Amino acid sequence: MNAFDYVRPPSLEETRRYLTPDKRVSILGGGTTLLLEIQNNEVLPEILLDVKSIAGFHDVRYHHNHGLKLGAAVNLQHLATGLEIRRHYPLLHQTAQKLASPQIRNRATIGGSVAWASPTSELAAPMLCYDAVCHTWSPRGTRTIPINELYVGNYKTTLAPDEIITHLHLPSFPARTHGIYQRQTVRHDGRRMIAAMAVLAIRKHHQLVNWRIAVLGVDDRPKRIPQAEVLLEGTPGEEAIKQALAVVRENIHPQDVVYARSDYRQAVLMGLLERSIRTTIKTLQDS
Amino acid sequence: MQQVLIRKPHVIGKPFPLIEAQKKLTGMTCYAGDLETLPGMLHARVLFSTRPRARFQLKNLEDARQIPGVVALITGKDHQARMGYTIKDRELLAVEQVAYAGQPLAIVAAETLAIADAALARIEVHYTDLPAVLDIAQALAPDSPAVHPHYQQYPGNDALNARPEQNIAHALTFTRGDTEQAFAQADVILERTYTAAPLQHAPMETHGGMAQAQPDGSITMWMHIQAPFLQRRIIAEALGMRPEQIRIITGCVGGSFGGKIFVSIEALLAAIALHTNGRSVRLLLTREEEFGSVFMAPAMQARIKMAATQTGRLLGIQATYDWNIGASVDASLFHLQAVTLAGTGPYAFPNAEIHTNAIYTNLLPAAPLRGLGIAQIHWAIEQHIAELAEMLHQNPLTMRQWNLIKGGDQLFPNFTMHANGLETCGLQVLNAIKWKPTRPQQSETPAPPALKSDKKVGRGMALSWSPIILSDQCGSSITLRLDKDNLCDIVIDGVDIGQGLYAFATQLVSFEINIPVEWITVQPTDTAKHPAYWQASYHNLMWSTGHALLKATAQMKQEILRFVGALWNEPITGLDIVDGEVISYASRRKLPLMTLLTEGSGDGTPPPVFEIKAMYRPPNIDGAIDSLLQSFATTAYAAEVEVDETTGGVTILQLAAAVDVGHALNPESVKAQIKGGMIQSVSYTLLEEMVFEDGIPQAVNFCDYPIATTADMPRQLHPIVVEVPQRSGPYGARDLSNHVQAGAAPAIANAIYRAVGVRIRDLPITAQRIYDALQAKKKET
Amino acid sequence: MKHDIQLIINGDTRTLAVESEQTLLEVLREDLGLTGVKHGCSTGECGACSVLLNGEVVNSCMVLAVEADQADILTVEGLATDEALHPLQKSFIDHHGVQCGYCASGMLISAKALLNRTSRPHEDEIREALVGNLCRCGAYADIIKSIQVASRARR
Repeated sequence: MNAFDYVRPPSLEETRRYLTPDKRVSILGGGTTLLLEIQNNEVLPEILLDVKSIAGFHDVRYHHNHGLKLGAAVNLQHLATGLEIRRHYPLLHQTAQKLASPQIRNRATIGGSVAWASPTSELAAPMLCYDAVCHTWSPRGTRTIPINELYVGNYKTTLAPDEIITHLHLPSFPARTHGIYQRQTVRHDGRRMIAAMAVLAIRKHHQLVNWRIAVLGVDDRPKRIPQAEVLLEGTPGEEAIKQALAVVRENIHPQDVVYARSDYRQAVLMGLLERSIRTTIKTLQDS
Repeated sequence: MQQVLIRKPHVIGKPFPLIEAQKKLTGMTCYAGDLETLPGMLHARVLFSTRPRARFQLKNLEDARQIPGVVALITGKDHQARMGYTIKDRELLAVEQVAYAGQPLAIVAAETLAIADAALARIEVHYTDLPAVLDIAQALAPDSPAVHPHYQQYPGNDALNARPEQNIAHALTFTRGDTEQAFAQADVILERTYTAAPLQHAPMETHGGMAQAQPDGSITMWMHIQAPFLQRRIIAEALGMRPEQIRIITGCVGGSFGGKIFVSIEALLAAIALHTNGRSVRLLLTREEEFGSVFMAPAMQARIKMAATQTGRLLGIQATYDWNIGASVDASLFHLQAVTLAGTGPYAFPNAEIHTNAIYTNLLPAAPLRGLGIAQIHWAIEQHIAELAEMLHQNPLTMRQWNLIKGGDQLFPNFTMHANGLETCGLQVLNAIKWKPTRPQQSETPAPPALKSDKKVGRGMALSWSPIILSDQCGSSITLRLDKDNLCDIVIDGVDIGQGLYAFATQLVSFEINIPVEWITVQPTDTAKHPAYWQASYHNLMWSTGHALLKATAQMKQEILRFVGALWNEPITGLDIVDGEVISYASRRKLPLMTLLTEGSGDGTPPPVFEIKAMYRPPNIDGAIDSLLQSFATTAYAAEVEVDETTGGVTILQLAAAVDVGHALNPESVKAQIKGGMIQSVSYTLLEEMVFEDGIPQAVNFCDYPIATTADMPRQLHPIVVEVPQRSGPYGARDLSNHVQAGAAPAIANAIYRAVGVRIRDLPITAQRIYDALQAKKKET
Repeated sequence: MKHDIQLIINGDTRTLAVESEQTLLEVLREDLGLTGVKHGCSTGECGACSVLLNGEVVNSCMVLAVEADQADILTVEGLATDEALHPLQKSFIDHHGVQCGYCASGMLISAKALLNRTSRPHEDEIREALVGNLCRCGAYADIIKSIQVASRARR
């Protein structure tokens, strides 16, 4: 790799002097994508700013009224094994267990993964369903970005070059919110994604209140399909399901990749989605 | 028995095979990249072509050479040479024109890797693209350019049945009987085409090694490769040296699978070592270079036509197997012979016509993947048989049984089929997955119900045979030495690539001379230490090495008994070696071998050292292709799969493989090899494909070229060992490691057909292909 | 940029000067001679370079040495003691968990990480734990069996 400087400040304040327009700085979380980009000369930073020592970046705090705070440096393995995740955000727990490999999960951070705006970024699916909000800091101040608005398309986010994600906040959800994450990939460990989707049914007082649908691999970014979600409200019947699926079909734009044609990706997504919706309804009716 | 300390200090007293495993598991094994570096060692990097066919010029070479820390930089113009074993259709370094993307253009040796990279970055390559030939159809089209327009200038240009102007690198034919008549008489004829994608060997350890020119003009190379004698000849010829002037010292290989037999970058390493004033040089390929610049496994297109009677008797087969072997055929000749001989599949067709063609293209040169193409031809044959059986309303098992090759069959003029366990293998794999095939539309025991309603389960089978072909060049030489310092040393010309060769040798010597395994050490091959034999590689190892070891141990035993017989003044006919002691049945005298080795005759003369050199050369009859046949290994597979009709996704629920190994000397080790082959087969059946775009390899990492992980394993594996002894093999054993692959892919394809009614004839079987076939089927109905 | 770092490797504390861009894998192999940690791909995809970093299994090719300052690192060389092999190593020998051996170091480390968390893992748990370790020889079945047997042998 080309040479760079490495700094690991203990606080956000101490990052200020590195986040100036004259310096080429890259934020280092887990490094599982950044180091590859540097190796391939896609990114040529002068400074790597390691955020893993910044106070508060490893916080994991849950409160049943306020929801979940996940510090940006919390690793994906914690999402797969953490008790509070399993109890209160089961869709996130389910998705995280299948992500990449143990080696990658032990390094990859939530902040880094969320900021990597690949259209097949698996972490994005449950985060979109759970209405995650990114909290950021830059020398110019702090702001919040709902994850839905983070992704601009084609591997881009609305983050400024000097902006660091400090934590994610997931609101509180009712108990027995039920979700499914399904993916079709070439290799069973998740490599080479054809399409994936997450479905979340939020239930209050034994009645289905509303639905969330997040899709991956079928557009230039991970996204929700709110136009279909509203059609599923309540306990959808056959007509509603068909209409919702038709709306999803209209609102996705899959692209060809070397290992899968766009029409195949669409067919897979629609198949997984229909199965997941029906399975969710059945599970909730049974329970 | 006296306690013996083996001379490796970190070992805790175990036999050699276990020592090797122990070293691997404690991180003590030295692969090529782990070797102690020599003082002053330089680091090499290679500049590879990024165009498939072009004229090229290298600019700024002098600037690159002037970079501080660059010690040597050579190009094709500095060192024009052609390389090859039979046909020299490769250049050491491209001189004026590149023939494939990934071809070496220059090699640099520098004080550090960073400096070497900087030197290569300084060089500008100006390409003038020429029309490239990228697939078989293009290669064979009448107006296509020739990949090797100057073929007639290559040494060895008359060795093969080549028509280079048509891009045919080699063509073989095998015929029996009269296929035209068979087709005229047939009740049913089925004709289909099948394809198999090019693959990658993808060993976990990339290619590489170290080289150092010696003061006497020779080169010492530390390279952990499968065929040191083969390579040293090719390298020596390329450098204008004698083979004995290239010394190759091997060691533990981190996987080869056929990719480390023939020369790829090794000759470059030797060449650059000649320019560094005696300083050693190390070259280790990156993973990207390993994927994009070494070898591919050849792609296949097959056309098969079979004729049968209504009752299921196979009358005739016409098969053409076309192989895309890239820009060089030299490494593929064994492969071509093997697939021609096995091209009918394991059936006694009275009439057969098999054509095998190797086609030149401007792609990476091919080297055979473990299995020599046998897996790919059976991909075609065993689906064809399954489809034919269905057309004829026959039970796929009984139809196969009825036509199967048997011991005594004279299918080749120079080879009589031997007894074999293929039928047993077939029955065992069916039993393992609990499937009794029946005629179509007859009710059979239903497959277990699928877990979800849109998933369907199906079962399939496949049989295969795999020729073990040896020429009189595929011999083996052994040095066996017994002395008090080292106890028993075995020096063999074979390389253990993880298939258990050293364990086999240790077991054999221990058994034959009746000495404890703890006494035995196998020395890694060093070409300076013994006479050359061709290639210590895949299938001939157990065979030739086994025979050579049997000779050596018999001689060693005689020598020991002669010595003691003279000592005791007794005839050797009454003597024997039991449990490390020489004993006399007549006088009941005993002498521990250890005592013999340390004290000798006990009269003050130095104790004896016993050293035997033995060789084995397989007999060659008259040079006809089938005279190379030693035997056939046979294998059967059965698969149970679940197919998701919505996505086309496949899960393998059960996979059973039975191999007739003749005699399993170490049954658990044999099963481990079988299981390994099963996983590899699943990997290339469902996942692997080398993708080229405009002749440039696209899949150059493990993401884009996915190989199976634990997540891709079948839910249940059933490895089965069948033993029908091979009389001409050592202890009745046949070779195993090359033959485990053939049959997995068609068994899986046949199972998919039974599950969802579509047949995939192109490897790999991707979910998208199944989806497309299901969509097409829906449209028809 | 040079950094002085401290690594606690297999129980030994070592101090070294490293460049920012040196990976932990490079430092372990080249500066510390721990060639048991293998180089397979450099892209975090094959697991041959797996080590335990503060108890967690990671690809050392994807960790900068400087990130590992003050960390506790376990490599394959640290599994056996002077007196005995680790039960995992014994089990891999007994159950043919090693063929060419190149993936062995990484497999052992991933297995150790698993057994540290779960004393009697199910076969599925073992499969999932090894999903980041490629074995081209295809020895997965015996590797999994070796780990199962070792897990039962532990007290």
